[in-house]
Amino acid sequence: MEKEHASIQDYGYRDFSTLNRIYQVFKKVLIVLIVLGLYISIIVIAIQSLNESRNLSDFTRLSFQWYGNILQEEELMQAIRNTFLVSSIATVLATFLGTFFAIGLYALSKKVRVFWMLLNNVPILNADIVTGFSLMLMFRLLMVIFPNIFGLFTLVMAHLFFTIPYVILSVMPKLKETDPNLMDAAMDLGVRPYKALVKVVIPAIKAGIFSGMLLALTMSIDDFAISYFNTGAGFDNLSIWIYAVIGRRNLTPSVYAFSTLLTIFTLFGLLIYQFLQRQKKGRKNEKNNFNDIRS
Amino acid sequence: MNKEFKVLSRPYMVWLSVLVFIPILAMLVISFSNLNSSVSMSELVLSVSHFNLLWESSTLIAFRNSILFATITTFISFVLGYFIAYEIKLSKFKNKFILLTFVILPMWSNLILRTESLANIMSENNILKSIIGFNIFGNISGTWIAVLFGLVFTYMPFMILSVYTALEKIDFALEEAALDLGLRPIKKFWKVVFPLSFKGVVTGSIMVFLPTLAGFAIPKILSRGQIVFIGNIIEQKFIYTNYNHGALLAVVILIFILGSILLLTKFDKEGETLL
Repeated sequence: MEKEHASIQDYGYRDFSTLNRIYQVFKKVLIVLIVLGLYISIIVIAIQSLNESRNLSDFTRLSFQWYGNILQEEELMQAIRNTFLVSSIATVLATFLGTFFAIGLYALSKKVRVFWMLLNNVPILNADIVTGFSLMLMFRLLMVIFPNIFGLFTLVMAHLFFTIPYVILSVMPKLKETDPNLMDAAMDLGVRPYKALVKVVIPAIKAGIFSGMLLALTMSIDDFAISYFNTGAGFDNLSIWIYAVIGRRNLTPSVYAFSTLLTIFTLFGLLIYQFLQRQKKGRKNEKNNFNDIRS
Repeated sequence: MNKEFKVLSRPYMVWLSVLVFIPILAMLVISFSNLNSSVSMSELVLSVSHFNLLWESSTLIAFRNSILFATITTFISFVLGYFIAYEIKLSKFKNKFILLTFVILPMWSNLILRTESLANIMSENNILKSIIGFNIFGNISGTWIAVLFGLVFTYMPFMILSVYTALEKIDFALEEAALDLGLRPIKKFWKVVFPLSFKGVVTGSIMVFLPTLAGFAIPKILSRGQIVFIGNIIEQKFIYTNYNHGALLAVVILIFILGSILLLTKFDKEGETLL
């Protein structure tokens, strides 16, 4: 039979709507599975923290006792205190120093700066185990002069080594965004360079400094491998302590309780931060908001 | 910026030079020395007699495991991570920041603890089974699947962030132009979007590949010591203070890393996609 009209298929149109519908379903399933994969460990930690029994293979009864018990676990509390001590010292120093270093690097000519920014990437890209092992060897050589070097000092030095680069990477894009005339204007008005730096440049880049600080804190608080090689004298942070204890198979469920609390605080902290940003910025779109914390 | 501020970078140049080069130099020297558990610092002499360590079958197997797992992890993370990043970009949800926050939120809790809880629910009798009645993972404790699962879902967020950063920078006008010129959406994706986001894929791949290659905690916990990565051998050498052996293996890993950094700088000069 002869066709009267050419169909749109004859013009090269192909109907993908069935295929597309299948893809839409497949897509949703995949997203759910991936999110589950990302969150399963967090969910399990939360369940384990609510279990009355210490036995990890059997959920006996819902109980909040391990939450109340956190403060009584002396070893855990010591590890938490050590973690916060090292991370707060490292974060404060890294944020302060990193900001000024970034300004210094930005003042260099482009060619020189690219070289130093490349070197700045080394601590970030270098594998933790290589950074940790090589720093450990250097400190070990220094032990000839300072026998008791391992402990808080080596840990803070190691943490500064890998947190400063993150602060610099966060501050640098903000410096590039600032109007170069800002500084000149301040100086034309008779402000000394360093005063202008503090009064004009720092406020202009403070979003970058803040996100750099958050990043430094995140990296420092969760670090395992570098700390593992550079600690000493029983100065364990949380990761090292957990790693040692799971070998002995008697981890207290209070650790899960602590971790769950931390996750909840982080979530709320981020949501509140986001909420405040929205209020402040009002009309600015979400792309800028995202950049503020991340870049 | 005022040229006067150049001075501010001087201390950092010293700091970086000292802490990047001296430890690596120390590591190189020690890898060529006889420094191990029975030799003290004062008896240090150059030696290469321990180099046969590199050809021992246990070392070779560890290298093979590390490279194999790192490659597969990177590939799976790329496929799944790109998919998620692209869906986030396409989503009609106004606040993309919140979506990204949910992707990276798990990274804020302790890595070792997360890995340990994964290992718990991968064993035969576990807490999820006692609640829902069946094993969602089957009994994969100690197998390569367990390790791969742990590695992929630990490091995938790095891939998602890098790819999303690259995707976000693509000008929508280019996509519109491609559609106007008659490309089908799939073709538009392959010919326009994917090439433009490739920089992010490279960065993301490196950020997944390197920690996987050099990691030791995740394989140790999830394989229950069955699958040995090169990092596990270095850890053993560290525990038994065989520093020359550990240093030698770390130098080999370093060579891989240098290769990756060179690759990255080809695509991304100032490391802008790193964050």
